[in-house]
Amino acid sequence: MVDTKLSRRGFIKASAATAALASAGTVGFNEWSNQYVKAGANADIKEIPSTCNACSSKCGMIGHVKNGRLWKLTGHPDHPYSKGKLCARGHGYATVVYSQDRLTQPLKRVGEKKFEPITWEQAYKEIAEKLNKIIKEYGPQSVALTEDPRASGKFYSPRFINALGSSNYYTHHVVCSNSRDSGFLHTVGVSSTSADISNAKYIMFIGRSYGDGIRPSSVQALAAAKDNGAKIVIVDPRLNNTGNLATEWLAIRPGTDLALVLVMSHVLIKENLHDMEFIKNYTVGFEEYAKELKKYTPEWAEKITGISADSITRIAIDMGKAKPKALIEQSWRGAFGCNYENSTETGRSVAMFNALLGNYQQKGGSIFGGKPNLGNLNESIHPNPKEPEAPKAGKKEFPLAYHSHGVATIVAKEALEGKMKAAIYYHSNAALGYGNPKVMKEALSKMDLVVAIDVQMSETAQLAHYVLPEVTYIERDEVIEGLSGKIPGIALRQQMVEKVHPETKPIHEIYSELAKVCGVGQYFNFSLDELNEAMLAPTGITYKQLRDIGTIMFQNEEITLGEMPKLKTPSGKVEFYSETYKDAGFKPIVEWIEPKVSPADDSFRLITGKQAIHSHTQTANIPILMQITKDYDLERIWINPVRAKALGIKDGDMVELKSSEATSRIRVKITERIHPEAIFVPSHYGITSKDLKIGQGIGFGYMEHVPFDFEKWSGAGNIHEVIVKVRKVKS
Amino acid sequence: MARYGMVIDTRKCVGCYACRVSCQMQNELPVEESYIKFYEKETGVFPNVKNEIIPVQCQHCEDAPCVSVCPTKATYTTKEGIVLVDSDKCIGCKYCMVACHYGARTQDHNTGVVEKCRFCAELVAEGKQPACVSTCISNARIFGDLDDPNSEVSKAIIKMNAQPLRPDLGKAKIYYVR
Repeated sequence: MVDTKLSRRGFIKASAATAALASAGTVGFNEWSNQYVKAGANADIKEIPSTCNACSSKCGMIGHVKNGRLWKLTGHPDHPYSKGKLCARGHGYATVVYSQDRLTQPLKRVGEKKFEPITWEQAYKEIAEKLNKIIKEYGPQSVALTEDPRASGKFYSPRFINALGSSNYYTHHVVCSNSRDSGFLHTVGVSSTSADISNAKYIMFIGRSYGDGIRPSSVQALAAAKDNGAKIVIVDPRLNNTGNLATEWLAIRPGTDLALVLVMSHVLIKENLHDMEFIKNYTVGFEEYAKELKKYTPEWAEKITGISADSITRIAIDMGKAKPKALIEQSWRGAFGCNYENSTETGRSVAMFNALLGNYQQKGGSIFGGKPNLGNLNESIHPNPKEPEAPKAGKKEFPLAYHSHGVATIVAKEALEGKMKAAIYYHSNAALGYGNPKVMKEALSKMDLVVAIDVQMSETAQLAHYVLPEVTYIERDEVIEGLSGKIPGIALRQQMVEKVHPETKPIHEIYSELAKVCGVGQYFNFSLDELNEAMLAPTGITYKQLRDIGTIMFQNEEITLGEMPKLKTPSGKVEFYSETYKDAGFKPIVEWIEPKVSPADDSFRLITGKQAIHSHTQTANIPILMQITKDYDLERIWINPVRAKALGIKDGDMVELKSSEATSRIRVKITERIHPEAIFVPSHYGITSKDLKIGQGIGFGYMEHVPFDFEKWSGAGNIHEVIVKVRKVKS
Repeated sequence: MARYGMVIDTRKCVGCYACRVSCQMQNELPVEESYIKFYEKETGVFPNVKNEIIPVQCQHCEDAPCVSVCPTKATYTTKEGIVLVDSDKCIGCKYCMVACHYGARTQDHNTGVVEKCRFCAELVAEGKQPACVSTCISNARIFGDLDDPNSEVSKAIIKMNAQPLRPDLGKAKIYYVR
């Protein structure tokens, strides 16, 4: 288009396409924007600070509300994650408030995928009766609650399940960061650190892409680091979209990141570039660790990773020289979040590599953030439910897993074994996103009671006995969110527009009302405002101030860099040697672990990752975001041209993708940006719910191909341990 | 009098589409209509590969062909150099769409008016940045007065030797760093 003017023929074609679109009409967003036009120029515009819900970051944002309807958003300038910016999914997901596919009233399943509307009273009454019956018959541990946590959910969900007497609270991290969390937790005492990117001189990312899984401030910091001359290395089997900001791409063989980190650690020590002072003062077990590392040579790693021994040595030495302003970024899912059988060990090795660089709590290094000091409800008036004594399901099998998040897929396993009888899913599409959907769906079907609380009819909601419609995050106030980091702070999500659908309710109301009917209402005898007032009490900030500003950072509580805190590991130090691992039946010293499966000459490893416009499966039904997928064919799989040629596949061809679990048809993007051993599929597609009309049928869900599995250490989903074969088919 | 222009640093662009979506919302566009298009340019052979993402929108040409062909003078250039469309005068004939070298124009399905990037003229009048600039997550976009040698945009053009996308097609007011 840039190269030539629009031809006359193209011009006519363009007109016809325009006419066709005009007559077909669009839903939701179109209707929404039309109303503005009608609203006229003298519109009343309010700017309301709040927080985003388009991904787990919950960036600060400002909603611009015109004539009572959400018009547009801007990034909150004070929020540490947005810093005045918002990503595409942040802008676009807000339109969910006007989605035509919203859930509008409580539903009860009356047949396969058949639902009838019921009143809230009936829903509460029947759910409570069933829950209480199940608890009476099988005990409270036969009930579980899983969510993708947000501010209110984090407070109310565990409280609700604990009030019922169960400790089974889970999060989506089983397919996000379980491995990293476990590896980090038992090495440095926290499940994640943050990174002082803008001051770093040498930054390595492993499988993580700031430009795809976005926090706007992280991308700004990385761009600033680049401007300052930092070396930025991306280790990834695909050249992700952060590639533009990188100085080097290491196209590693998928599943071999652990080998790379082990060898770089070995080189650091061999070259005497490790920070001996830091190691002496703040670590345990270094001698045993250093001894173990000797067997991991650059030549050994070259064979495994496909990266030359020279490159590995050079980068390790350069990082050693740049220390402590050098780090491997802590990632989320990345290659050590939940992807391979060796991911916990990769996470652990990364935490240790950063310790060798002595970069903890240093400018340009890894940071243990400070937390805001928030208040609690007065327990004598608002009693806390007793912490259930029974261990969370999965605790026995996966003692190393980060307890707060748990291993969510254990709920499905125990349901199949007949042990788990009831499950509540809040803001969670576990049936499609948490592991093999066939297994997940079978597990959900076996339970006596499944309740889904959501804003749209997800695949999980389709399998539920009861579906409770929540208001969207644009229509509700939430619990104050504490922000930890170099400077701690607080942020408030607050209501921007009136409820669009009168029969929907905010989550705190749903839990409080349901608890009352279940007979545990005494634990919810407070309003959201009372809770927030109590949380604010020690800060000296008024609720009104917070409402006006939205995000408040406590500048005077900035942590002091250079001062190592006492770590929450058993030794209080970085653990190169871990008794916890030993007690759990694992090697106390980190070691090389082979991935579980490997592709052959005629097959590929299926890998996945985020695109900048989508989050999990929740954005697939958002027209303004899905249109970008359609405009740029973003649902296609990536194949390396050499492999494609051998298979007779051309760009845009339709292929059949076959694994042990499923067969999918999908078109191909041929690109040099992918390792020949791997096929990349974006992780947001394959919606099967007929009630999600925008997303349904676009692309395929990569989880369809992922065997239902648990990584041995952390219970994570092993979502990259998948082998597929590909053949060309007629479209 | 200011003469507005922009720098787009494709070395920083991560192709996140935030500019597109914020622009659609600012301008209340239907989902299928966008003022910003994206072109990808992949060079090299695995594993030595570079991928460039080039966002393209109305370049606010100095001697804009869309202005000269418009039979009703609906498309015009403001004194600040922003090319705008007077929707009351537009008859939807699409001459401007044909004339535009960059395929930067799009017809509103509802009104028939042919629109395009307007540098968010009403925001700029208030002293704010265009929506695409203020939301750019990697600060790849810089906007300001090309005639002010001290403006950030002018300094960036000199410092980074920014060039129009296609200098052979006339003088544009968006400069690219590639």
